[in-house]
Amino acid sequence: MNSVLKTAPSPAESNELVDGPQVRELGRLGTLLGSTTFWVAVVNVFVIAAFAVTSPNFLQVSNVQNILFSGAQILLLTVGMTLLLAAGEFDISIGANVIVSSVVSAKVMVALAGTPEQVLAGEYPNAGNAIAIGVVAAILTGAVFGAVNGILVTKFKISSFITTLGMLGMGTGIARVISNGTNVANIPPAIQEDFGIKTYLGIPASAILVAAIAAVLWFALSKTRFGLRTLAIGSSREAALRVGIKADRYVLGLFILVGALAGLAGVIDISRFATTNLGGHEGTALAAIAGAVIGGASLWGGRASIPGAVLGALLAVLLQNGLVIVGLPVFYQQVAVGAVLIIAVYIDQRSTRRTT
Amino acid sequence: MSTPVLLAKDITKSYGHVVALRGASLELHAGEVVALLGDNGAGKSTFIKALSGAIKPDGGKIEVLGQPVDLESGYRAQDYGIDTVYQDLALAPDLSLAENIYLGRESVRPGLLGKLGVLDRRTMAMDAGAAFSQLSVKLPSPRSSVAALSGGQRQAVAIARSVMWAKHAIFMDEPTAALGARQTEIVCDTIRDYSKRGLGILIISHDLPRMLTLADRFLIMRHGRVAANLTREEATMPRILGAMLGEEAPADRSSQPAQA
Repeated sequence: MNSVLKTAPSPAESNELVDGPQVRELGRLGTLLGSTTFWVAVVNVFVIAAFAVTSPNFLQVSNVQNILFSGAQILLLTVGMTLLLAAGEFDISIGANVIVSSVVSAKVMVALAGTPEQVLAGEYPNAGNAIAIGVVAAILTGAVFGAVNGILVTKFKISSFITTLGMLGMGTGIARVISNGTNVANIPPAIQEDFGIKTYLGIPASAILVAAIAAVLWFALSKTRFGLRTLAIGSSREAALRVGIKADRYVLGLFILVGALAGLAGVIDISRFATTNLGGHEGTALAAIAGAVIGGASLWGGRASIPGAVLGALLAVLLQNGLVIVGLPVFYQQVAVGAVLIIAVYIDQRSTRRTT
Repeated sequence: MSTPVLLAKDITKSYGHVVALRGASLELHAGEVVALLGDNGAGKSTFIKALSGAIKPDGGKIEVLGQPVDLESGYRAQDYGIDTVYQDLALAPDLSLAENIYLGRESVRPGLLGKLGVLDRRTMAMDAGAAFSQLSVKLPSPRSSVAALSGGQRQAVAIARSVMWAKHAIFMDEPTAALGARQTEIVCDTIRDYSKRGLGILIISHDLPRMLTLADRFLIMRHGRVAANLTREEATMPRILGAMLGEEAPADRSSQPAQA
């Protein structure tokens, strides 16, 4: 046996901690100041304050409702995208998925609500059942769409960029084939009245639903084994595989989950205006990725924050709404979000210096 | 000596017509650090893979604590309390030290929360902290992220993880290959700490001078066999090099298979 005794750390090793690579013991304040979520929240507060000072209309109840109505869908998609980014994947077909799911759902609702004559006459004897089945159809369509993405990525080992780029084209095309290129009309208005424009205590039903889902996903990502393993897969797939985590099963599951959320986003789409929105989702996937990344998610996986993603998506929605309210061209929103995205990633890269 | 924690006898392995192992044997005892040396192609990596269960040998037998293991039915050293530290560390840089230690074997809360997979981060951090405090290497809080560690500290975490789950022995493949001198010293201190706590440690390394200061025993492989088994006292640089190159008849052939 070797006779070297365990000794207290030598001065050299102690130095390791002090001057060694980036071992910083941050206090609570330090942790807060280093958190992307905190800074995105600060920017949001600043933007809200700026618009509120500029226009008295911005913080009126009706406008806040408006922000929540128009923001619910992209918030939902952004938190979904955040889970995929956590595992080091992403989905640029998410907007196409929303369109396909909403078209299938709308077709199902119209077909089941009554006979074609009744529907044309504006009568929907079966509206309740039709809407329920239509909602299920949307979520299932979204999940199947996501499963195709997931299977191509995990079984056929095609990168998620190429897979979802291809599915973006296919999904958009299929939606137009099913709908003949025109938006599906005559959707039972009950979905609008009872969900799309419904509010509880002044808060839109869709926003409540999205907030509940975001809360569940936040819990899952930050508090559970599922979340830890998802982040581990994104951080180092090899490390995850070595300890026996079935990375492919996780990734497939995440694509299905995000697909189902896109299906639900399709329902929000048709419930708001009682029609589909064939041309309305070209920028959706990139907006969701931008929101998630502004909120602190890494494009290479391993780091992601649901609260950050909510705030990142909210920032875009606030800018969109506020610029209109203060009478500036809405196109500045795109400029501002793009700039914030770049700045956020730059700050993030500087604060997480890595050693290899 | 007592029953070895690991005994391998006459392990053979061929890849097509390339014979990688021609009857390699070794014994690993509790509390000793054994260096597995040899020139490139001598069969070190194949041997350690067979011992860890990463590959299935063509012949031979393995015993853990005197109990023969069934090589036919997919033997995994992990199931026998023997863990392997890989050359490329296999840590997730974005996760905390504690999360890395427990990844794949997470502690969950008791009751319903546990069924939902809710993590018990406090217990994991405390246990990881306790494991780190037994090292002579200083590591930051178990809750800080691996990305902030130096190479030597990362290797120490990887070893600490193996130790946490290993009951009898640890295999290490080039644990200091990518490290500078000071970092290497951190890792060697860690290895010594753990061997003193009764684990058998088997190390593949090219760093001969370092192994001379670290190991208790030296197995030198040549042509798919363990050609020499030298004690710390017998092991000198010329003797080890001689055995590696086959220039000198090894003094101790006890681990040489009889059929050879």
